[in-house]
Amino acid sequence: MPDLFPVWLSLRVAGLATLLTLAIGLPLAWALARRRFPGRDLLEAAVVLPLVLPPTVLGYYLLLLIARRGPVGRAFDAAGIELAFTWRAAVLAACVGSIALLIKAAQAGFESVDERLEQAARTLGRSEWGIFWSISLPLAWRSVVAGTVLAFCRALGDFGITLMVAGSIPGLTQTLPLAIYDHVQQNRMAEANALALLAVAGVTVLLMGLGRLARLRF
Amino acid sequence: MLSLSIKTALPGFSLDVTWEAGEKVVALFGPSGAGKTLTLQSLAGLVRPDQGRIVVAGRVFFDSARGINVRPQERRLGYVFQGYALFPHLSVEDNVGYGLRALARGARHRRVAEVMDRLGLGGQARRRPRELSGGQQQRVALGRALAVDPGLLLLDEPLSALDAPLRRLLREELMQIVSEWGVPTVLVTHDLTEAFQLAERIVIYDDGRVVQAAPKSELLSRPASAQVARLLGVRNILDGTVLKATPEIIQLRWRGYTLEAINSPSRGWLPPPGTPVVFFIRPEYVRLIRKDRPGPDPTHYMNRMEGRVVGQVDQGATWALSFAVDGAAPHAREAYDLEIEVPRLVHEMLEIGREHRWAISMHRGSIHVLPHA
Repeated sequence: MPDLFPVWLSLRVAGLATLLTLAIGLPLAWALARRRFPGRDLLEAAVVLPLVLPPTVLGYYLLLLIARRGPVGRAFDAAGIELAFTWRAAVLAACVGSIALLIKAAQAGFESVDERLEQAARTLGRSEWGIFWSISLPLAWRSVVAGTVLAFCRALGDFGITLMVAGSIPGLTQTLPLAIYDHVQQNRMAEANALALLAVAGVTVLLMGLGRLARLRF
Repeated sequence: MLSLSIKTALPGFSLDVTWEAGEKVVALFGPSGAGKTLTLQSLAGLVRPDQGRIVVAGRVFFDSARGINVRPQERRLGYVFQGYALFPHLSVEDNVGYGLRALARGARHRRVAEVMDRLGLGGQARRRPRELSGGQQQRVALGRALAVDPGLLLLDEPLSALDAPLRRLLREELMQIVSEWGVPTVLVTHDLTEAFQLAERIVIYDDGRVVQAAPKSELLSRPASAQVARLLGVRNILDGTVLKATPEIIQLRWRGYTLEAINSPSRGWLPPPGTPVVFFIRPEYVRLIRKDRPGPDPTHYMNRMEGRVVGQVDQGATWALSFAVDGAAPHAREAYDLEIEVPRLVHEMLEIGREHRWAISMHRGSIHVLPHA
C-alpha cells in the first residue's frame, strides 16, 4: 500500500487551484465574451498561452514571480508568507496550468447567452452585477461547470509547472503525478501502479459525471 | 411628448434621424435594416448614438452636447424585444417580477399577481416560457415590461415571428393591452397594417433616414414623396408632366392623354408647366366603363382612356388586372401602365376574362400628385 499523502495533497491543491481559477477566470471569461476594450485581443491570446507553452517555461516565469525576491514573492514575504517550494506554489502552478480550460469554456458559454436577455434585464433596472448572477451565469452554467471540471482534472495532473515552482518534496509538495514519477524512478512499480490506477479511475468518474451533465435540462 | 434627434455611424450604415411625437402610440415603419430597431435601442440606452439628443416626457435621456447619457437602468422604459427575449430559466412569475427587485417581498408578490391577473396569466405563474403559447409569451413579455410602470413602452416587431392568423389575433390583443394600460408607446414594425392598426402617428424610415412623419390619416392620401408612396406599398406610381396648375386643379400630360387631378389645398403647390411630377392612383379607384353605359356625353367620365387588359391574377376576393393604355407614347419599362383591382363579382359580371378591350376612367379626386423627390 503506497503512502496516500500525495493523493490528499493533490486533491487539496487542485481544489484550491480550481477556486482560484474560478475567481480569476470567470470575470475574465465574461469580459472577453461581452466587453470591447483595448488590449482585448492580446488578453485573448495570453489566456491560451499556458495551454501551448512548455510547462517548464511557464514554471520558470512563475518561479521568477514568486521567488522570495520576485515581485510577487517579495510582497508575500513581507506578510510572512512563503510561496516558492511550498504547497501554495503548487496551487499557483495548478491554476496557471488549468485556467485556460475554464476561461475558454466559460467564454463560449457566456457568448452563447442571447445578449438581448441581458439588455432586457438592463432596461428592467437590474445592475450589471445582478444581471451576471441572475441571467448570464445561470444560462451559461453548463459550460462553466464543464470548464470547472476540466480545469480541476488538469490541475490534478499538473507535473512540469509544479516541479519547477514547488519541487517534489515528499510529505510537503509531492503531489500525485510527482509521486508516481518518483516511484517509477525508484523502481517501486507496485506503488506507481496503484497511484496511476487511482488517478485514472478518479478522473474517469469525474468525466462521466460531466457527460451526464451535458444531457441535463433545466 | 417625445423628441429625438440622433446620429450614429456604423460600418456600412449610418443613422441620422429626427422626429417628435405627442401621440400615445407612434409607429416607426420601414423596411428591414432602415434603422428602426437601432432607434429603439438608442431610446432605451442600450446603444449610445454618436451625437444628438433624446428627451422623453421632459426628461433628458441623452444629450451629447452636454455629456448626458442616462443608463438604461435609470430610464424606466418597458422594452418588448423581437421574439420577446423572455428569461428561459425563470418561471412566468419570476419573469414578470424581474424588474421589481426594489420592492419588498410582499409588495412584489402583490404587483406580480395584479399584472398577471390583468393580462390573463393567472394559472401560468409556475410555468417556464417555453411551455407557453405564442400569445401567452407575448403577454408575459408585456407584463414584464409593464410591471415596472414604465414611462414609455417600446415594442420591437412584436408580431413578426408569428404566422398570419395568430398574428391578426395577437394584433388585436396587443392593441387592447396598449390602450388599456395607457402607456405611451413606440412601436417598430415593417408591417403597414400593424402600423395603421396600432399607431396614431407614423414615422417612416428608409435607409437610416426619416422620409416622412405624419398622423396616419395623412399618410395614404398625402405621402410626401414617391419614395414614401413606394414604401407604403402604393401601386400605380406614375410619371407625368404638368400642363397647368391652379390652386384647385393640376392638369397633367401622361401617355398622350390629358389628366386632371385635384390640387391638394393644404399644399398650395403651383408647379410651372413642363415640370415633371409623380402621381398615383390606387388600383381599386380605377373605374372600368361598361360598353352598354357609355354615359350621356363624351365628357361624362373624367380622365377617360382606352386600352387593353394584358394580364389578370386571381387574388381570391379580388382580381388584379394589368392594363395597357392606347397611346402615342411608347411603353417605357413594363408591358402595362396601370394596375386595376376589381371585386370578384364585378369581374364575373363584366366577363373581363373574355373581353379585353376596355375604356377606363379615373376620378380627379383619386389622383394624387406628389412633388418630385
